[in-house]
Amino acid sequence: MSTSVDALVTTVKSQSRVRRVVTNQQFVLFVVLIALILFFASRNSLFFRVGEFSNLFTDFSGLVLIALAETYVIVAGGIDLAVGSTAAVSGVVAAGWIQPLVNHGVNQAVILLVGTLACAVVGALAGGLSALLITAFDLVPFVATLVTYSVGAGLALVISHGAPVGYNPGAIYWSASGIGMITWLVAIVLVVAVVLGVVLHLTVYGRYNFAIGSNEFAARAAGIAVRRHLISVYVLAGVLAGLTGMFFYIRSGSGAATTGVTNSANLVAIAAVVIGGASLTGGVGRWAGTMLGAAVLTVVSDGLIFINVPPTWIQVVVGALIAVAALLQSFRRRSRRVP
Amino acid sequence: MTIASERTPVLELRNITLHYGSVEALHDVSIKSYAGEVIGLVGDNGAGKSSLIKVISGVNTADSGEVIVDGVRRHWRSPHDSMAAGIETLYQDSGLAPDLSIGSNIFLGREKRRSGLLGRLGFVDQRAMEKEALEQLARVGITIPATQRTVSELSGGQRQAVAIGRAIAWAKHVIVLDEPTNHLGARQSAEVLNVIKSAREQGLSVIFISHSLPHVLEVTDRIIVLRLGRVVRDAPTSEFTVESLLGTITGLNESTGS
Repeated sequence: MSTSVDALVTTVKSQSRVRRVVTNQQFVLFVVLIALILFFASRNSLFFRVGEFSNLFTDFSGLVLIALAETYVIVAGGIDLAVGSTAAVSGVVAAGWIQPLVNHGVNQAVILLVGTLACAVVGALAGGLSALLITAFDLVPFVATLVTYSVGAGLALVISHGAPVGYNPGAIYWSASGIGMITWLVAIVLVVAVVLGVVLHLTVYGRYNFAIGSNEFAARAAGIAVRRHLISVYVLAGVLAGLTGMFFYIRSGSGAATTGVTNSANLVAIAAVVIGGASLTGGVGRWAGTMLGAAVLTVVSDGLIFINVPPTWIQVVVGALIAVAALLQSFRRRSRRVP
Repeated sequence: MTIASERTPVLELRNITLHYGSVEALHDVSIKSYAGEVIGLVGDNGAGKSSLIKVISGVNTADSGEVIVDGVRRHWRSPHDSMAAGIETLYQDSGLAPDLSIGSNIFLGREKRRSGLLGRLGFVDQRAMEKEALEQLARVGITIPATQRTVSELSGGQRQAVAIGRAIAWAKHVIVLDEPTNHLGARQSAEVLNVIKSAREQGLSVIFISHSLPHVLEVTDRIIVLRLGRVVRDAPTSEFTVESLLGTITGLNESTGS
């Protein structure tokens, strides 16, 4: 073809390399994370012990799966308020189902696998409820997942009568085993987290997730099955919340209705995503950002306790962190925009 | 009847009717488009232009009527079906995902996969897509410096260039352009019109929707006028002037007869 559309093309001024690095959220977060660890270690030398790092990894693992679930949902242009109570209800239900196996002295590996499956199924049902309300009844994700959150939190209380369900000392024992500062439980969670990152950034599924969150109409017009994808994303988020429920079951040896609810795990997960640089309007977010966001939140929560700051102050600090991250993001967006 | 009617239309819509709830957006609309022909689709706001192209592209499904491509009756379950049949649509302002790279947008819905097992697992071949995106855009006469850039970093004209480039690069039979010169300067608009002319030379059937009547008169072979969801005029462009076209669109020269 002979036509040229050069007239349509004006060169975009490229920004300086220094500015690009400084405004890169992941880079900044990494520096912040290292600085925080050094700060806490300088205030209390016990922070550098293997035992404390093991605790950090464990606390991180309890947050990272729902934070990544939230990353998928937020990148797709939605929000999921249900992940905390989904963890609670799946842990409670699974604990009830597998207690007979515990009582009969069945092999612990079998018990935990059955429990994991049960949690995944209950989580998928919870995610399915959100997906149904969003795609079939056109509720906005905020309201739909608020419904699921309430139903989940309520059912967890009804089923557990407000008390821990079941008791499985073998699970607690296993949760502490591993190599060095990494327990097997943490290792499994980290493997799942890596798989989620690979799928988000390297596969067609992840690409559709970004496309839908960036411009749902464009995605639909490009032939992407938007509705089916959104259903799968909320179900995935539910499954990951369910697995988090199982994580806490294994650590405490029982299921509790308070898991993920009393500590507002859904909001902490959203905070990790926002700190990681994702946009709540969809289409923008990175796996590494959420991982670092979750790591920073974990180190801050644990570290403040370590240097004797009252736990009540932790939420204030978390709030300040979110504000700084959001400001950084808004600055970056302004500096990148073409006039 | 003209000579064109002896050929098989590359795209034909027969008696299309479409409702949004109780509102009738299209009433008994029939149009034909031929290879190597540019059709202008004009009408006032709410005349049904956008509804009609959504029926063509499969975003909406008509309540009744037939869509026929190359003599074969087709039914679109989704835009994916019309794309597979060689029909590409450029939507007004909203066809690109701004947070994705140019290359990812060119290949949106048609992602290239890695070879072997990774490809079957759904892994995308981003490098190949960025490279081929440049080639595809160059083939239709559009040069963009770096395809890794996200669309949100482009100017309005550049976005439009990418959207048009994507549509023309993939179109095998029909290309539908909804207001492609909207928000563009005079020089950029002229370039878009040139791209449309060369699409016609390539043997594509082009359906061009625009409010800019001089653009429509300049580039089209035939003009279809929609008013309140009906086709009120379908005639060669040579039979129109800006004034008579405006009269037909608004219905003001109805009483005088045309």
